[in-house]
Amino acid sequence: MLTMLEEVVLLAVDERTGSLRSTREFGTAYALVGAVFFDLALARKIDTDTETIHIVDHTPTGNSTLDRVLAQMSQRPDLKTVRDWIEELFLERADLEGEALASLIASGVLRHEKSKLLWIIDVERFPLVDNQPHEYVKTRLAHAILSDEIPDTRDIMLVSVAEACGLLGYILSDAELKRRKERIGVLTNLETISRKVREAILGLDQSARAATTRVM
Amino acid sequence: MIQLAQETREGWCVVAVRGRADSEAADELENALRAAVEQNPRVAVNLWSLSYISSAGLRAVLQGARAAEAKGVEFLVCSPNNSVKKVFDMSGLHHVMKIQERLPC
Repeated sequence: MLTMLEEVVLLAVDERTGSLRSTREFGTAYALVGAVFFDLALARKIDTDTETIHIVDHTPTGNSTLDRVLAQMSQRPDLKTVRDWIEELFLERADLEGEALASLIASGVLRHEKSKLLWIIDVERFPLVDNQPHEYVKTRLAHAILSDEIPDTRDIMLVSVAEACGLLGYILSDAELKRRKERIGVLTNLETISRKVREAILGLDQSARAATTRVM
Repeated sequence: MIQLAQETREGWCVVAVRGRADSEAADELENALRAAVEQNPRVAVNLWSLSYISSAGLRAVLQGARAAEAKGVEFLVCSPNNSVKKVFDMSGLHHVMKIQERLPC
């Protein structure tokens, strides 16, 4: 089974071109951090309440990314809130995406292609080798949003991370997203981690707006 | 530490939850709710004596509600104290399951 981080990075791969798509660079970075915490929560290594996050099991998961984050958390008992840890790991955003891509390539889901644009610019693509995991993630996401059923925990987390990455528009039509806006809002609010990811993105947007205003 | 008790009253299976619903207790809570849903047409979860609920605990309750929905079982979450109610309110769980102040029986 893929991790939440791998599922979201896979969702960001354009199935036609193999390029990585994202509409919100920093939003995506925060959301990937959220995905790692969801993975640790699903593995029963961490738990959260409305503000704080704590380790409940220090034993490794076997996944190098998750175990690295778990080890980091063990070494920083001074960081206690979900928001603190989201900001801390935000600095590692490139690693998280890169590690998920490497894992997806190693497991035969993607392949890595490098080419040159105008003979100068390096272009990286990640075409799908096995289409099935990509379709499976898309199907679960669409079902969680379009149905009125209570979704599985994992699918609630998936909707939260994909929404924060700005990826829902690649899965559902504008009309579907508009019609299910309330449902998406409900699902993305259920988990503390996703609420804190949203707060972090909002805080970043406000800082960017303030900086732009000062420059002008 | 969590303590679970089950009784039948006026056609309702009442699952009383006492203590802390955290990651340590989440599996036990989810299994108890699933078992109650499996055997009864109406299940009420009494949270009056629940002192703390974490995200893992909330997920356990949510998965109990999900199992009930799939089986067509009526599922109510009842009587959370103020601190637990605050957690439910913040997560907006009332949008996906029925939460009420009093037990139905």
